[in-house]
Amino acid sequence: MTTAVSFRPRDLVVNEDGTGHLVGSRCPTCGAHYFPTRQVCAGCLTEDLETIPLPTTGTLYTYTVVHRSTPAFETPYVLGYVDLPGPVRVMGQIDAEPDDVEIGMTVELEIVPWGTDEEGTPLLGYRFAPGGER
Amino acid sequence: MTEVYVIGIGMTEFGKHPDRTAADLGAEAVRGAIHDAGIDPRAIETAYAGHVFQPMVTGQQVLAQVGLAGIPLANVENACSSGSTAIRGSFIDLLAGVADVSLAFGTEHLTGAFKGAFTPGEDDPEAAVGATMPAVYAMRARRYMEEFGLTREQLARISVKNKRNAALNPLAHFKKDVTIDDVLMAKPIAEPFGLLDCSPVSDGAAAVVLATGDWVRRHGEQSRAIRLRASALRTGKVETAPSSMTFEELTRDTANDAYEAAGVGPEDIDFAEVHDCFTIAEVLRIEGLGLWEQGTYPAAVERGEADLGGRLPVNPSGGLLGKGHPLAATGVAQVVELVKQLRGDAGSRQIDGARVGIAHCRGGKAAGVEGAACTVQILTT
Repeated sequence: MTTAVSFRPRDLVVNEDGTGHLVGSRCPTCGAHYFPTRQVCAGCLTEDLETIPLPTTGTLYTYTVVHRSTPAFETPYVLGYVDLPGPVRVMGQIDAEPDDVEIGMTVELEIVPWGTDEEGTPLLGYRFAPGGER
Repeated sequence: MTEVYVIGIGMTEFGKHPDRTAADLGAEAVRGAIHDAGIDPRAIETAYAGHVFQPMVTGQQVLAQVGLAGIPLANVENACSSGSTAIRGSFIDLLAGVADVSLAFGTEHLTGAFKGAFTPGEDDPEAAVGATMPAVYAMRARRYMEEFGLTREQLARISVKNKRNAALNPLAHFKKDVTIDDVLMAKPIAEPFGLLDCSPVSDGAAAVVLATGDWVRRHGEQSRAIRLRASALRTGKVETAPSSMTFEELTRDTANDAYEAAGVGPEDIDFAEVHDCFTIAEVLRIEGLGLWEQGTYPAAVERGEADLGGRLPVNPSGGLLGKGHPLAATGVAQVVELVKQLRGDAGSRQIDGARVGIAHCRGGKAAGVEGAACTVQILTT
């Protein structure tokens, strides 16, 4: 069986044990954090940003339940913005029933199957699930 | 300082036009604007064409259809702000002395190019996890509810108001009133939004002819000319830290550029056309423009203050929710409505004593950026 790989290797690192983290940038001059990675700091224009693993636990800033989407996604699904320590805001699906979701809840990154690529290789993506230690 | 006037306006009916093309809709709007201006088309020296999902050089195809060949034309893409950015191109040509008369138009055959929910660009990391444009705005609505106690019914009232105005606009996509219950019961798109909280997929085109004050005086066309005082454009900043999604700094900053250039402030504005792609969007635009304090607009709508007879009518044309949203045509159509109101030609939706109008457009989405392009234009009698 083909080993599953990250759906966006630049944005998401998946370890052999099935854990993983998002990849961001940190400005060594002013401390600003970014996702996805970038080359120049938008705050102070420093050019040599560090590539860092982003924390995996954060706070749900807001969310919606999506009922109509592109054919790539089965509906409905919960989509949210999560504020990770940095601080940096990341969008992701929330792995919970809509009634169990509320603004301000603590959520944790999880690695989940994400379909296959054009050659049939299984892909891994990410969602946020309720819980985790802050 | 060169003065700039809108001397001609043209617009197709917005809606579904299965048998038309963007070029042919654009040509109808441009011919309308030239006839409205009452000028020889050969007076037009430069042109700007806004379109988003259309074939390349759609602008030249329009010029070819109306017989305007040879003049400089640039095609402009700035997402939903493409048409208003085209107007800014003409505005700058006149200020720079490159032309005395310039044409700007926006055209979109969207039903032929797109179906279903809009998403950010294909390679966008947010699109990759399921972002759609309705979802992004729905999340802003949810957060606004949390922070300011906005209710679902208050949101629905914005759709009801704009569709009521659209029913008075013969060129609007929607020509029927809806009730609050209709909005609440519509099929869900991205909670809290149902279908009637979202602007429709529309085809259409709009055009304006601009001229310098000197040209207008030389040609005696002053009576119907409406002054374009400011045409401001900004791009969204990259966020260096998570920011509020319930207040639009980009709208505020673009508006401040326009207020400064026009020499007016929010207190001088009589009415507004704003980019209500979703119900919550009207709230965010209006508060970003400084026309109401943050957190107070939904209750003002409930009190009727933004109605046609209210203190400051918002989206008298029907807005994107009612008039329709053929992306690049939208920003030009807003200016068309401002001109109709300021001329006193708006018929059954005429605002009494309209002297200063503001138009706001905002388009595009990229991860980590607060909106892609924002325009604010101010017109006066």
